[in-house]
Amino acid sequence: MTVEQASPEWLTPEVRDHLREVAYAYHVRVFGEEMARVNFLPRAQRKAYLHDMIDHARSKGVRFEKEALGVSR
Amino acid sequence: MPFGPTPRPAARVAHRRELNRMLRIGQEEMERFFEGLVASLQAKGVACAITSGMACVEFGVAPSTKDCDVLCAIDAADEVRRTLDATSLRGARCGYRSHLSAPLDPRWLGGGWTSHFAWRVGDEEAVLDVFGVAPRGSVRWDLEHKGLYASPHTVAEMKRTDRPKDWPFASALGVKLIEAGDPRGWLHIFDIDVLQALAGRIPVPTEIIAGRPVLGLLVAGDERLEKALEGEVKFWQRLDRVRMRIYHDAVRPYAAALNRDPQADAPELGVQHACRVRHAECLLAINPMRTYGLERLIAEAKEQAAALAPAGALAWLPDVRNNFTGLAE
Repeated sequence: MTVEQASPEWLTPEVRDHLREVAYAYHVRVFGEEMARVNFLPRAQRKAYLHDMIDHARSKGVRFEKEALGVSR
Repeated sequence: MPFGPTPRPAARVAHRRELNRMLRIGQEEMERFFEGLVASLQAKGVACAITSGMACVEFGVAPSTKDCDVLCAIDAADEVRRTLDATSLRGARCGYRSHLSAPLDPRWLGGGWTSHFAWRVGDEEAVLDVFGVAPRGSVRWDLEHKGLYASPHTVAEMKRTDRPKDWPFASALGVKLIEAGDPRGWLHIFDIDVLQALAGRIPVPTEIIAGRPVLGLLVAGDERLEKALEGEVKFWQRLDRVRMRIYHDAVRPYAAALNRDPQADAPELGVQHACRVRHAECLLAINPMRTYGLERLIAEAKEQAAALAPAGALAWLPDVRNNFTGLAE
């Protein structure tokens, strides 16, 4: 089951533009320019980039597995 | 060369490295595998959804993650386990990943425990964590997930962990929710610059302020906002730290018993599971949170946060009791 939100009145095209600008600036600040660019790519390109990035890191010995603690954060 | 006569000792390391390279499971294959698994469970009528890192990637807030976290309906635990047992990855069968893993059984799943699984292919592992209660979830995740993925609201609530690195993902998801017209996004933004940039253009509903008092300071332009945000984050972090400690303490005798039982690492998932249930029934509290007490947990987190946050910063904390629905009552 999914919940569909009706678009509220305040969500005008100008507000959408503003949100996008604020979001992009925030992504640059906290994730860095490269990941901000990736996050704003279309889904397929974003995923392809991340797959390559993770595969490359793993080929260099980076380990991503998290601990199995019996409870999740 | 990966195949052929047994290499001389000096070449064995290179031989093994080459084999591992060939066996390596690409991230795309890994994602397809997990998405297929969740799709097949949903096709059987099991309420389940991918959450955490893989969901963040889906929503355009990408962390580097390889593992898969899945929320599943508590009463579907047995069906999920049967499906895992029947699902192989490149011929590898599924097994429990750790002696700290609770059995995938409705009793412990409903008590807030996580079951950890892995498919081992050579030196590679496809890792899956299954849980039934979304940590800090304030709404029923099964009523609003989208396709294969948990909703951004649920994922953002789960990102309020004790690790500072998770918080930017919560804020970014909060903005995503507002972009989608969902005012609950205001509950997830912990960055003062983002909050102030949005507050001038977008209304903050009163019921949202009631759920997160710090937003009252934002709307009023009160300069204590920054301090209050710091206090809020410290409180959530300590809340998670204390919660984790409760479960860590509760799992020790059970994990010790599994360490001594060779059946815990039997090749068959069914044997591993029966072994875990047998020990859990004697040694693993079903719901340690309930035993500990939610009010005690909150009081302890407040006390710890007070020692870390600026003086007076905890005056605008939200009521978090709703974030432990299903665990505390």
